[in-house]
Amino acid sequence: MFSKLALRNVRRSFRDYGVYLLTLTFGVCLFYTFNSLDGQGAMVYLAKNGNPIVEAIMMIMDIFSVFVAAVLASLILYADRFLLRRRKRELGTYLLLGLSQGQVSRLLFLETGLVGLISLAAGLALGAAASSGMSALTLSMFEIDMSGMLALTFSPRAAGKTVLYFGIIFLLVMAFSGAQVSRAKLIDLIHGERKNEILRPRPLGVAVLQFVLGVLCLAAAYAILLLFGMALAIAVPFLCFPMLGLGTLGTLLIFRSLSGFVMKFVQGRPGLYFKDLNVFTLRQWIGKVHTTYLAQTVVCILLLLAIGITASSLGLNATLTAMTDGDAPFDITVQNQSGDTELIDFDALLRERGIDPEGALAWRCDALFYYNDEAVTGYENANTALRVSDYNALMARQGKPAYSGPLPSEYIVFGSQISTGNLGLDCTIIPDEMAEQLEPRRQVWSADYAGEIKGETEDRLLQLIWPLSERLSLRVETRLSIYADMMGSKILALFLGLYLGFTFLLAAAAVLALQQLSQGADNTRRYAILRRLGAEEKQLKRSATQQVALAFLLPLVLALVHSAVGMKAANDIIFSVGKVDSAASSLITAGVILVVYGGYFLATALACRRMARNA
Amino acid sequence: MSEILQVTDLKKVYGKGGSLTRALDGVSLSLEAGEFVGVMGPSGSGKTTLLNCVSTIDRPAAGSIVIDGREIGRLKGKALARFRRERLGFIFQDCNLLDTLTAYENIALSLAIVRAPARTIDQQVREMAELLGISDCLAKYPYQMSGGQQQRCAAARAMVTRPALVLADEPTGALDSKSSQLLLDRLEALNRELGATILMVTHDAFTASCCRRVVFLQDGKLFLELHRGSDSRKVFFQKIIQVTAQMGGGMADVL
Repeated sequence: MFSKLALRNVRRSFRDYGVYLLTLTFGVCLFYTFNSLDGQGAMVYLAKNGNPIVEAIMMIMDIFSVFVAAVLASLILYADRFLLRRRKRELGTYLLLGLSQGQVSRLLFLETGLVGLISLAAGLALGAAASSGMSALTLSMFEIDMSGMLALTFSPRAAGKTVLYFGIIFLLVMAFSGAQVSRAKLIDLIHGERKNEILRPRPLGVAVLQFVLGVLCLAAAYAILLLFGMALAIAVPFLCFPMLGLGTLGTLLIFRSLSGFVMKFVQGRPGLYFKDLNVFTLRQWIGKVHTTYLAQTVVCILLLLAIGITASSLGLNATLTAMTDGDAPFDITVQNQSGDTELIDFDALLRERGIDPEGALAWRCDALFYYNDEAVTGYENANTALRVSDYNALMARQGKPAYSGPLPSEYIVFGSQISTGNLGLDCTIIPDEMAEQLEPRRQVWSADYAGEIKGETEDRLLQLIWPLSERLSLRVETRLSIYADMMGSKILALFLGLYLGFTFLLAAAAVLALQQLSQGADNTRRYAILRRLGAEEKQLKRSATQQVALAFLLPLVLALVHSAVGMKAANDIIFSVGKVDSAASSLITAGVILVVYGGYFLATALACRRMARNA
Repeated sequence: MSEILQVTDLKKVYGKGGSLTRALDGVSLSLEAGEFVGVMGPSGSGKTTLLNCVSTIDRPAAGSIVIDGREIGRLKGKALARFRRERLGFIFQDCNLLDTLTAYENIALSLAIVRAPARTIDQQVREMAELLGISDCLAKYPYQMSGGQQQRCAAARAMVTRPALVLADEPTGALDSKSSQLLLDRLEALNRELGATILMVTHDAFTASCCRRVVFLQDGKLFLELHRGSDSRKVFFQKIIQVTAQMGGGMADVL
């Protein structure tokens, strides 16, 4: 009988449960996706190559999963409390009808369990889809051909872990709801809907003062950040704490006083003040500010974290990619550091082992670096010399212009631009015929593989070259190995950023949505009065939407301003390391935030409009 | 005098089949401009249903309601909202002020809803507040005012748009006798000085005694009508008491 009642309750209050279910499902999906990383393409590739970073990444993800689970647990408990508050009357009626508190607790227990099961199943299904989507995203980021790894995979380990963590969370929630019911007094439950918060009038002049003060605080915080730069502002405590303190205080003051400030402004303009339901909408905003400004500040900071972390992890990722490409212009570079004693004939070596250099390689260049003799070249600064024809061949392959200055060049080329991996040499460019007067120092053989079977070609080449290192001092660097090294750090930065960013975003959006919904429920009585006064449906709905929009947009706008300043400071650091692709990463961030945050906004606005209509 | 409200053979039925309740069973009533009419009757006599139908909140099953020359049964959606805000004013028992707005804003909002010119709003609000004696608490929020002040504020809100018909549902129901007296005094003044037409539902004989005419309902039917004529309020009050004693709620069968 209880399970039937529980089932019916969940079905009937699906609208109430809507945001709750959405949050649970997103939470489960997020948790599963980032715990199933080991099954995803890029990680499989890394693991196959025996890269130790895979284990490190999984360990860090494990640690942060505990943190994320704690955040989600608080969120779910908050949502549950909100639901219980809305159902006080119903629960009171059960008690009045003679059900024992234990029985009502059991009913709630069943309901929570049912909702938990539904959201777990939905979240895992969504998570499987999301994880293959992320697999495709990361694979495309690393430009590695792994069409075979794109299949939809399901990780039982991650699923098990998700079920375990969320099982514990749901048990907590069940215990919590049970405790709430057994502690509550019947009279409070029955009259639960009548209690109103006490409004205290606050002079608008004070609000204006607070607003100006808030703006000043923010300006000071921004000035510290931009003046000293991000590295200094964060590392030095007597800069860091005032900056964070002023920023938080400024945000707090602005949220607390903005409505009063706007009201003061609007009151001076009767055309605006007395237009439609503006008075009502503004007063609603002011009336709720003192219960919501703290939450809005927290939401604003969560959004800032979400935007900042996501944008900078994507931005850093783009930077790392650019750096990798600069480090690895060719598929492979073999440096024969014993070039002064013995030179390798690579073509002959390949043919000897049955590899056709013309067929297997798309391009190859055997360049000799000579000892620089000041008497011949006229320069003492460079430690080697390179023939201009070799230099031009290396440049041409990268699509860069040939050398066209005077020979021998004053211009000193640093080794990393003309080979994959670091050469550790600098050189002057000399006319080809001048080389005959110089002693060879190092042989640098670079090549690009032909066709799509790059990995296979590389394996064969490496097998061939390694035996030589017994008598020669060789250094072999390949683009694939550099990528694999870089990939680990990139994946870590990217995944950790996305994981935390999404968690914060989800938390922020859900908190706001629940708060607005509970206020919307309180507002139904007010809408009924307005309707009797003759307000049109359209006006009521618009007012409801405006109220939700104010709650959602204000923290977002302020968070965007904060993060624009923060990104400016952060970019200055990344800029000093390499180039930044911040436009693209900002766009992706904006898109993601729009989808998640916008989804919550839409769901909330629709629900509040419905409440206004049914009032 | 022109007719403001014309109710003809109004019927309203709740439930269906065997458990049918006739809340209104053929009520006819007519109000002329400037009249102050009370509706009395025991619980369940249909007075609130009558008021709800007249105020367009509820729709009757049969019969017609004509207010200021318009048949309101035909109005829908936007036109209904427009009619409601331009022709009707409401005063309720639990006064129904918006708790987030000051008294001033509560009164001004109903003017904003009828799209009164913004320049004239301030003056209209202050005039009406003066009439109802709440000028000194215009800046206060509802919970800072006494029940009587709140109710007079609600009356000001209902009157400020100069509606054709003001509907009051137990306006003194939640007030102490002194506040009741003050509110009724002001309603009478509004009726006298502005010529406002008021239809007031009440079950309190004292409250009803300030009306010019009282209509008694019982079991959804018009039971009796009393005209005050030239009687003093005290005499009129005695007459009302007699009628209520005759009706005696469900006690009529016992006596």
